[in-house]
Amino acid sequence: MITTLLSIGWISLKRDRVALLLTFVLPIVFFSIFAVIFSGAGGGGAKEIDLRVLVVDLDQSEVSRALVAKLASQEVLTVSMTREVADQGTEEPWTRESAHQAVRQGEADAALVLPPAMGETFGDFGGEAPEVELIYDASNPMAQFTVSGLLQAASFQSSPQVLMKKGLGMLEKFGGRLTPEQQQAVDFAVPALESGELSGAGAGGLLQIKPTAAHDESDDDQGPMIISYYAAGIGVMFLLFSMTGAAGGLLEEQERGTLERVLSSNVSMGMLLGSRWMFFSALGLVQVLLMFVWGWGVFGLEIWSVKRMSGLLAMSVVTAAAAASFGLVLAAACRSRAQLGGLSTIVVLVMSAVGGSMVPRFVMPDFMGTAAKFTINGWALDGFLKVLWYEDPAATTIEALWGLAPELAVLSALAVAFFVAARRLARRWEVA
Amino acid sequence: MTNVLEIRGATKSFGDVQALAGASLSLQAGEWLALLGPNGAGKTTLVRAIAGRVRLDGGETTLLGRSLVGNGASRRQLGIVPQEVALFPLLTAAENLRAWGTLCGVEAGDLAERVEWALGWTALGDRSSEPVEGFSGGMKRRLNLACGVLHRPRVVLLDEPTAGVDPQSRERIWEMLEELRSQGASLLLTTHQLDEAQQVADRIAIIDQGRVIEEGTFAELLKRTVGAERRVRFTLARQPTAGVPEGFERLEDGRLELRVESVTQELEHSLRRLREAGCEIVDLEIEVPSLQTVFLHLTGKDLRE
Repeated sequence: MITTLLSIGWISLKRDRVALLLTFVLPIVFFSIFAVIFSGAGGGGAKEIDLRVLVVDLDQSEVSRALVAKLASQEVLTVSMTREVADQGTEEPWTRESAHQAVRQGEADAALVLPPAMGETFGDFGGEAPEVELIYDASNPMAQFTVSGLLQAASFQSSPQVLMKKGLGMLEKFGGRLTPEQQQAVDFAVPALESGELSGAGAGGLLQIKPTAAHDESDDDQGPMIISYYAAGIGVMFLLFSMTGAAGGLLEEQERGTLERVLSSNVSMGMLLGSRWMFFSALGLVQVLLMFVWGWGVFGLEIWSVKRMSGLLAMSVVTAAAAASFGLVLAAACRSRAQLGGLSTIVVLVMSAVGGSMVPRFVMPDFMGTAAKFTINGWALDGFLKVLWYEDPAATTIEALWGLAPELAVLSALAVAFFVAARRLARRWEVA
Repeated sequence: MTNVLEIRGATKSFGDVQALAGASLSLQAGEWLALLGPNGAGKTTLVRAIAGRVRLDGGETTLLGRSLVGNGASRRQLGIVPQEVALFPLLTAAENLRAWGTLCGVEAGDLAERVEWALGWTALGDRSSEPVEGFSGGMKRRLNLACGVLHRPRVVLLDEPTAGVDPQSRERIWEMLEELRSQGASLLLTTHQLDEAQQVADRIAIIDQGRVIEEGTFAELLKRTVGAERRVRFTLARQPTAGVPEGFERLEDGRLELRVESVTQELEHSLRRLREAGCEIVDLEIEVPSLQTVFLHLTGKDLRE
């Protein structure tokens, strides 16, 4: 008896490809995705950090130039001192405001503002260390801490001769003059330090770092960013799930005979799919907007400005439209509700993992970021974060919407492409 | 009588399988025609072709004298009642009726009146605001039927309209269909309930292997196939002393069988002959040839699946 039951179970499983995929392939796929994300496998070992740092040198001293040169020599940093002036083809140094704006808009990971007269007080062991402002994007916690650490390291390594001279000056001030032999050794060491034959080292901060979040929130508060991120990320993921679920109603109607009856009436397949697409899009729009309203009501997500609401609405419309078409494609491609359930689970979870709905993209290897561009989640997240996080306070509503043009265009194109595909696949439900 | 629906030489293949091989059929105005056939004989394909859900490879279908191909106006004269309970389960009875009425082209101004009529016709008036998913099988069937005829079609295609319902509901459904016919609709019914088809249908068409192999009234079918003779079987306590009387046949179980045109006219004489032959009769059974007899005669007893 037990053997027979086991046999029935096995035969049923091996004839159900979706069940086989769910049982054997899905765990492997997910294991692989998370392994790639967290180990960097496939991207040449651990994730290669590449932070774009803007430097505003208000000092222009030998010390500040040496510090910038040392920072620029770090493999993980791409240091920029100047920016291109729009429409003029010329370059001009970053100002604090322009650098702040660039970080705020996500064009750079951080900016350093080297204060005036930094060179005069740099290395003064008895005085106060110069204060360097670090403007960072709270959405990328690695940027703040990596740049801070590298800045401190660079400060020690960039001007060792200055440190030596100032240290000896302190020694002579409080401990008396050097002996002729000591002075001779120092005279030998300073050029060697300048030339880099001897390396400088120290223990303790030579610079005070003043961190400044590029956005309005307090320096160490990443909450709003995380809420924005996950409101968009989770919102899109569940939008995809709900759209595929809703589109599965077509398969139930097929099984019940309702679809056949509907198509025998005055309704054409194009009309049927079009009406379903409209309904699902409206449903999805409400679902996404509710997610943001919940974020506002419960987590303080800022959405109530004309500019943000316009952006959110535009992004929500195209995202819901793309997700609705996506759901219809999957439903039209499947033979049964059970098959759709399995397939949609796989596809939506993979897209969500790759597209950043489940794990923030800044922790992913670069190639995963590229892969995200092949998902609805990736484009939707980019757009929503532009609205909720990388908003330019100086931009008008029209300018902000124009900034969303790539995301709006791609998601609209996906909506059309998926709908066309769904229509073609739905031919099997038409006249035999 | 005028033919409202005509199918001539319908052919249709699905890959290597030929579902229709020149099927021809006609339905007359106000007629109730039963289309019978074994599984896989082509019934459903033929009905789906009439409903516009199957594109024929060859042949022609006309409704009220006009081709059904690409003719939406003619198609609106068709009412379709599928075998499945093709309703929206979460909608109430009234909502389903409104939805299907709209889909089938009932004018907005007539809709409320048609829904009201349908609720009365199906005896679902007091359940009109309940979701259909909670209905019994018979209630769903009645509603399924009503949804297909709300738009007052001239021809109604009925695919197994009584499948899976209890005798009371079945009886009610036949009454509803009879009422529909009395209002002028022509009914094309496919069913496996041969006894019921024999009772209700004016004419019967039997389809097998993609062709209509017989068509006519039950009496005509009987005459052309197994004949109208009744079989009278006698159970005996004592067998005849001098062989089986002429005209009688001994069956394997020992009973004697006699075929007669009219039981009332021939039974008394037969009983006398048996007694005269020394038989003691303890029981008798009369078998009247049924539609099932005709059906099996025409289509054989081999399984078709």
